[in-house]
Amino acid sequence: MLEDPLALARLQFAFTAATHYMFVALTLGLAPYILFTQFVAVLRGDRSRMLSVRFWGGLYLVNYGMGVLSGLVMELQLALNWSGIQETFGYTFAAPLAIETMTAFFIESTFLGLWIFGWDRMGRWAHLFCFLVVSLTAYGSAWWVLVSNGFLRHPVGFEMVDGVAHLTDPMALVTNPAAVLAFLHVVTGAMTVGALVVAAVSAYHLRRGRDEHGIFRRGIRYSAIMMCVMPMLVVSFGGAQFQIFGQDPPTSGLTYTAEEIATIEASGGGGLVAVANLTGDVVMMTSWAVMFFLGPLIPLFLPLLSARRGRWGRRLGLAPGPELFSRPPARWIRWALAPLLVSPALPYLASIGGWVYRETNRQPWVVVHHLTTADAMTPMSPAAALASFTFFTLAFTVLAVVTYTLLFRYARRGPEGGPLAERRADAGPGADEPAAPVHTF
Amino acid sequence: MDLLSVPSPSALLLALFVVGYLVLAGADVGLGMLMPHVARSPEQRRRVVASIAPYFLASEVWLVAAVGVMAGMFPELEHLVVARLWPVLVVLLAGWLLRDAGLWFRARVDTPRWRGLCDTAIVAGSWTLAVSWGLAVAGLLSGGLSPSPFPVLCTITVVCLFALRGAAFGAERLVGPFEAESADVAARATRSLARFALGATIATVLAAPWSGGPSPTSLGAAVTLAVVLAAALALTCGLIGPMFSRHTSALAIAVPGLLVASTAGLPTSGLPGTTAVFVWSMLLPVVPVMLLGQVWLYRMTRRPAKGATFFA
Ligand code: HDD
Ligand code: HEM
Ligand code: HEM
Repeated sequence: MLEDPLALARLQFAFTAATHYMFVALTLGLAPYILFTQFVAVLRGDRSRMLSVRFWGGLYLVNYGMGVLSGLVMELQLALNWSGIQETFGYTFAAPLAIETMTAFFIESTFLGLWIFGWDRMGRWAHLFCFLVVSLTAYGSAWWVLVSNGFLRHPVGFEMVDGVAHLTDPMALVTNPAAVLAFLHVVTGAMTVGALVVAAVSAYHLRRGRDEHGIFRRGIRYSAIMMCVMPMLVVSFGGAQFQIFGQDPPTSGLTYTAEEIATIEASGGGGLVAVANLTGDVVMMTSWAVMFFLGPLIPLFLPLLSARRGRWGRRLGLAPGPELFSRPPARWIRWALAPLLVSPALPYLASIGGWVYRETNRQPWVVVHHLTTADAMTPMSPAAALASFTFFTLAFTVLAVVTYTLLFRYARRGPEGGPLAERRADAGPGADEPAAPVHTF
Repeated sequence: MDLLSVPSPSALLLALFVVGYLVLAGADVGLGMLMPHVARSPEQRRRVVASIAPYFLASEVWLVAAVGVMAGMFPELEHLVVARLWPVLVVLLAGWLLRDAGLWFRARVDTPRWRGLCDTAIVAGSWTLAVSWGLAVAGLLSGGLSPSPFPVLCTITVVCLFALRGAAFGAERLVGPFEAESADVAARATRSLARFALGATIATVLAAPWSGGPSPTSLGAAVTLAVVLAAALALTCGLIGPMFSRHTSALAIAVPGLLVASTAGLPTSGLPGTTAVFVWSMLLPVVPVMLLGQVWLYRMTRRPAKGATFFA
């Protein structure tokens, strides 16, 4: 396999895409929560909620960094390794990506910079506005990427002019069911990723009885709501996607005749790809089933974590009163919270499984009924393919491991030790005064 | 046909993103290259990274946008660029990854070894980027890379322009409360870099007609741009020195981008109307937001942050 550039390029794409999606899913899942918390914090001038924004925001940024690094590789890789798609479908497949780079990434990164550097330099509402823009553009970015990806799965809205696809119907492109349903399914799936990551981090700190600011009680409350609602939506939008299965795209026949398509499909596929396809499907649905049944259990924690100690609370020796949150809770509560610690594995597995399922479903086509995977690849020598594959796989593994190590580390340290935590002007009195005049050129 | 000979709005957009990238990212990439030279102590190195940090994200998106526009609106051009420059672009991507990883990770672990490692990644990545850009410009101008003097000289020139832009940026941003040496070192470097770049430019121009050099589609444009470049560099090394180097270095580094756009004979024909309407109708409503973000960020961070930030 290592001498086959096609296999290498496919594996490389699958690996980088899966890595990219691991980080992107958390971005999409965490952004609304941070936005909501910051909104309430600004509205009420609530310091403890602002600490919460700084805490989750720190995790968001560490995660975002790797999202950007892997995204850059995705973008360039599509151009470098898959120029066959560009050649024929540039005006259709890549046009939404062009829109995305300008209307989403460009704005997202700029406003994220404003958000990072604006904590002490702009008004509270302006700062909130920056994160609003960041969240909206993150979703905009997911939308346009999925318009592109949906086009591969179910190509619509173009005609063939001298072997190049010319867009005829932009509306068809943006109302493509393979894009719209995928977007809704991806977004709701990403919300489960965000909710269970919040739940896991919160459970970790509640088990240690460290929640002076209520950050983690609120976290559990959030994930309780989300995990009751989202799995239902995920399965509805996922199930709806089956309608595309077995359907020929409306443009079928523009490139190949029905007989040619049948021949290509008969000769391709099978083997490893079929195994991956089935595995992806089973993993996604199993994880969903577990989440579906576990989700409604999370609200059971809410009374345990309520700051008001009811009659039952007193009798069971659990709840709290404010003092509880600076001391570990009863042993059985700690055990009850333990499963949440590993719960994020479920939506992550489901997401990767879902993507493997979708992408391998398409084989042997890159653009269904128009372009085969083999024809889409840039011609390259086996040595070049191997070198690029080795470098990017190694680099990605290292970067992903470092990022996850950091995420775990900051998640454990809690609100005081995060990368966005407020740094005290610790040098005692007089520390605020500038030590010397600052020249500007 | 040239990108800018009959400028369609879409071609102008692409040229704008590339030139914008060179001018804005040139500053933070160039300063990354010069880090070993301008920063000796750990605190100085921290300050170099702190001056790069607010901008690198906001400037690299210009290139991401350029790649997007090229793929969606000029697929033929993209095909040609990839075919000519595949190895260069892979190396460029690797350098980009390395540099960004260093920037994102630097402040995350509080040990000198880790910071040293990340600083190395930043410096090595910045150099890799500049050299790859030099090779890319040479390859596009002369229709492919060949082992002859022109590509080498052209690459050296572009690398110098990046470094000069970084030095000008450093001279302005590294001024601080205690130690102004970094800023002074950078300011002095603008002179010598400009001299060196001027020499390299002249050598490149002399080499152009014979050694694997370009055959510009518009000789007039090529000559004009070369003169602009030489004049900008001459001003920086002689008359006005570091003071206006911020502007002259920006002008200088824009020239390679403009040269490629207007004289390299790149194919830009045939953007079908529907795609153009589709992309532009999505793009126009957000242009104000794009501008607002960039201008706001550059204005807000004109003065360095007081304390430590996320990056350094
Ligand atoms: C938390 C994540 C998650 C969960 C719990 C599920 N999925 Fe999913 N699924 C995804 C995350 C995901 C995904 C990663 O987001 C995919 C990949 C591409 C896409 O559109 O969404 C996907 C793809 C995807 C596809 C598209 C395949 C294609 O287009 O070829 C179908 C039909 C389903 N899913 C169906 C389901 C069903 C019936 C589920 C419940 C039993 C389910 N998914 C749970
Ligand atoms: C982010 C999550 C994604 C994952 C995990 C993923 C996974 C995969 C996998 C497993 C393959 C290999 C299929 C095979 O060889 O049988 C593949 C190929 C590919 N995917 Fe994706 N994909 C993702 C998103 C996307 C998106 C959003 C696009 C386009 C916008 C895309 C475009 C492609 C292309 C062009 C190939 C190469 C050709 C092929 O083998 O089909 N992918 N991807
Ligand atoms: C399901 C598939 C995808 C989704 C949902 C998605 C979404 C996102 C999001 C939300 C970001 C912001 C960074 C972050 O938050 O981590 C991002 C970054 C990025 N993605 Fe993707 N993406 C997907 C696939 C792709 C593909 C196929 C490409 C390549 C064409 C790509 C290219 C990029 C680039 C270049 C960035 C960095 C942009 C920047 O500098 O901010 N992504 N993506």
